[in-house]
Amino acid sequence: MLDLLADGIVSILQWKYLLPLFLGTLVGVVGGSLPGVTITMTVIVILPFTYGLDPLAGLAAMTGVYVGGSTGGLITCCLLGIPGSPASIATTFDGFPMARNGEPGRAIWLGVWASVWGGLLGALCLVFLTGPLAAIALEFGPWEYFSLFVLAMAMVAGLTEASLVKGLLSTAIGLLITVVGTDPIASVPRFTFGSDFVGGGFPFLPVLIGIFAFAQIMTDIEKMQDPQGKAKAVVKAAFERFSHLKVNWEIFRQPFLLLWATIVGLIIGILPAIGGSASSVMAYDQAKKFSKTPDKFGKGHPEGIIASEASNNANVSGSLMTIMAFGIPGDAVTAVMLGAMTIHGIQSGPLFVSQNPGLAYGIYGAYILAHPLMLVICWAFMPVMIRISNVRLAVLAPVIMVLCVLGAFALNNTMQSVYVLLIFGVFGYGLVKMGFPLAPLILGLILGDQIEINLIRAIMTDNNPWLFLTRPISGGLLGAAALSVALAIWQHLRHQKRVAEEDTDF
Amino acid sequence: MRLGRDGIAGLIGLATSLFLLPFSFGLPKLPIVPIGPGFYPALVLGFMALTSLVLVLQDVVAQRRAVPVEAQEPAAAQPKRNYGLVLASFVTVGIYIALLPLLGFRIATALFVAGFQMVLERPTTLRQWAIQLAIAIGTAAVTYLVFERYLSVILPRGSWTGW
Repeated sequence: MLDLLADGIVSILQWKYLLPLFLGTLVGVVGGSLPGVTITMTVIVILPFTYGLDPLAGLAAMTGVYVGGSTGGLITCCLLGIPGSPASIATTFDGFPMARNGEPGRAIWLGVWASVWGGLLGALCLVFLTGPLAAIALEFGPWEYFSLFVLAMAMVAGLTEASLVKGLLSTAIGLLITVVGTDPIASVPRFTFGSDFVGGGFPFLPVLIGIFAFAQIMTDIEKMQDPQGKAKAVVKAAFERFSHLKVNWEIFRQPFLLLWATIVGLIIGILPAIGGSASSVMAYDQAKKFSKTPDKFGKGHPEGIIASEASNNANVSGSLMTIMAFGIPGDAVTAVMLGAMTIHGIQSGPLFVSQNPGLAYGIYGAYILAHPLMLVICWAFMPVMIRISNVRLAVLAPVIMVLCVLGAFALNNTMQSVYVLLIFGVFGYGLVKMGFPLAPLILGLILGDQIEINLIRAIMTDNNPWLFLTRPISGGLLGAAALSVALAIWQHLRHQKRVAEEDTDF
Repeated sequence: MRLGRDGIAGLIGLATSLFLLPFSFGLPKLPIVPIGPGFYPALVLGFMALTSLVLVLQDVVAQRRAVPVEAQEPAAAQPKRNYGLVLASFVTVGIYIALLPLLGFRIATALFVAGFQMVLERPTTLRQWAIQLAIAIGTAAVTYLVFERYLSVILPRGSWTGW
């Protein structure tokens, strides 16, 4: 295994892979540092550039974006008090107060170094645990896969901030989109109404780009003329004198904090589609609970920054594990990566590592090398990035739109994909305005075909429907899905009760 | 009966699923597969109809429980939303996509980037005009060179311009 890992790292050190990885990491850090531009958006923007590249080069670039983006968000967190990306949300709680207290350099570099160490610890798990996880997944039959996908969707729907019902409805909409077109077994057209436009179904990536990119850009445009929505540099960009050694000592003198934040990030990353923001907030919360000085949190406490940043970078390795072992995206970024893999004819899943060792270990290598590259980028380009983070939306939005259109067009060189992009752009914005969470929809969209195929395979093998419940793993997964929904309902009811009590308590 | 945003969304979901459900039942059954191509869509649509119905009912209950507007305390100032600008943005993107096969990628993109920037932020000085124009031409040129020359992606040619 270590030989393969060494080969993977050596492969990535070749210029044809190192350059995309470096550029991906740079774009990721810049994208992550731009308020309103998420890592998903950044990976969507670079997606069309990867079509013409070697699969490993394309995936290395995307891995770079993912790692860079998870760290880049902390720059605006510390300097503006606004998370550059949702994954850095908890960094704001202590990064901004620390910067306002006259230590912006210490705040940012604590975050950067914690990201590096959290990410590299996560890499150990990525390298050593993906194989065993894939081995477990190999034991799965169609019943278990079906139940696993149901669990993934139940968890995502249950964890949405809106409401469980809206999360479930959003999942159903995602599943419905995949049903349009020909069926996967007998190629019978479904809901096409004789139209050639939808005859082949909706291509996944234009739908994803349309829903995500349009919904986000248009939501930002809504607030453009609102003085409250405009970010102002509250903290001076000039850094105080500080020592990198001292910053690292601050991190390593609390190894338990670093380790625990990494584990939290990793677990959240492995669980499908929960995302970096949840891992960052949960690690922050855990750090506060375990801290000897919880009262210092929120006032510029280094522990808060370390927990949040170590966790959101470890979350990346967890997401990569899920996609490589189970073929399920851990979040929207890995959903785009999954789409890119499909374009290159690569099937992710339990056989991915054993059938494509060069590619799998190349991704591990890219993930590991992205961290020192990110460190170099932050060190060399920090002043430039601080200036870039002030780029106006009026400049950014048209350029992003052009890249979205290119991403859809270049998929199969037809305008049809671009029309799909526009249609789903309008649809996605409408859903956001109706208060629907997009994550369950995207998961439904990604897993829809696989759910149907595994359901049919299971019934074709044995038409006893009880097998979904009586096979131990499948039954356990369905039980966990039911538990997840029940838990979400219980939390909702408890929240309502608490609100009602607060209302009556004058 | 008053309906809120969720209720309307639920009704749309319910209407869509009830409209499509008969089509899934009408799909042909196949002798080799125990369940036909309509089984899974029917399952999804049934689930969608159920969740939509629950959403409508939830909203009806919430609306009944809601405090009348006159009895409410004044809410905190909500951020202003510029929906006119969103509409203008969608129209601009729509025009760009419509013009792509007619004018070709290079011209349509330069026009779009310039136009969209003006929609979002009207330039007032000569310098701002020059910057916006440079960004428009630069975006079209750089993306064309990278995609068509370096990544071998053939970009749309204009049927009107041949360019």
